[in-house]
Amino acid sequence: MLIQFLLVLAVLTIMYVFVRSSHAIYVQASKRIALVLFALANVYAVMRPDDLTAIARMLGVGRGTDLVLYALVVAFMAGMFSMYQRFRVVDRRYTELARTVAIREAELINRERGLHSAQVVSIATGDGERAPVVSEDNLR
Amino acid sequence: MTTVDGRRNEDVWVVIPVFNEAPVLESVVRQVLTVFPNVVCVDDGSGDGSAEAVLRTGAHLVRHPVNLGQGAALQTGLTYARVQPGAQYFVTYDADGQHRLEDASAMVDVARSGAADVVLGTRFADHADSVPLIKRIVLRVAVLLSPAGRKLRLTDAHNGLRVLTRPVADQLQITMNGMAHASEIVSYLGRSKWRVREIPVSIRYTEYSRSKGQSLLNGVNILFDLSVRNRG
Repeated sequence: MLIQFLLVLAVLTIMYVFVRSSHAIYVQASKRIALVLFALANVYAVMRPDDLTAIARMLGVGRGTDLVLYALVVAFMAGMFSMYQRFRVVDRRYTELARTVAIREAELINRERGLHSAQVVSIATGDGERAPVVSEDNLR
Repeated sequence: MTTVDGRRNEDVWVVIPVFNEAPVLESVVRQVLTVFPNVVCVDDGSGDGSAEAVLRTGAHLVRHPVNLGQGAALQTGLTYARVQPGAQYFVTYDADGQHRLEDASAMVDVARSGAADVVLGTRFADHADSVPLIKRIVLRVAVLLSPAGRKLRLTDAHNGLRVLTRPVADQLQITMNGMAHASEIVSYLGRSKWRVREIPVSIRYTEYSRSKGQSLLNGVNILFDLSVRNRG
């Protein structure tokens, strides 16, 4: 049946979009367009249930409501995936923020406790970004 | 390099992720400090006084304001340790006292000898029978399932005891906050050009470490996290 083909295709497409690394703007725009289209389709389906049934018949589904249900399942899945991705991005930022705060605070606390690695005065650590500075008060 | 004036292992930083380990933490850290003078404990938002236990020792303390997961704690520890002057070798070590210091020292020696860029501990080379049977099977399967693990011919991908040399630690960026970090590290090593060596270590499965050990069911979470990694 046509509907089975379409549903499987939709699910596979969602999985593909979800799994491949994406260009943020393109994907975000597509998601928004899809959302608006879905909303419009819903309004149309509510206004003209008979058309919906006709389309459903064409696709090999018995009733219009069944078609709506199928579409809902696919949309729900896409929404979940999208949410999960979004959550991962937020989670990563949140981690970075917490890490920055933690390290900054730790540097203060550990210095107060008299812990530092000032014994090693050589600054040649091979770390170009941020050479550790041994200040005088560390040297005692 | 061991020198007479007791300044040995000053180029080594031991990173210990800590989450609610107060009962054993202090003694574990004190022991580590007898061999490695530089220890950084990353308290991952513990609520049981783990941080205070660290403060009673001579270890550096970094506190996550909230609980982020073991992977995040390891990365924080590495980030902290690698800007410390003179840091050349980075050891990851579990807070529950299941690792042996002799093993860690032996692994650092291998890294120092230049024979490897990364030294991983494996439970399965010598004393495999000390590992509980189900755990043995699951860990074996985990290695076989991972392409990087097969490529590197690893026998134990989820051992908490590791030694990284400076260039590796500089490049490594753990993004898996939870327990999937072990697999993430292996897959990173599989893609990289670093020379990886496995060294047999033994794990003390004490009652405490057993109670703290992760449930095997967590493997499901790890697989899910890994299958969708870096897609966000």
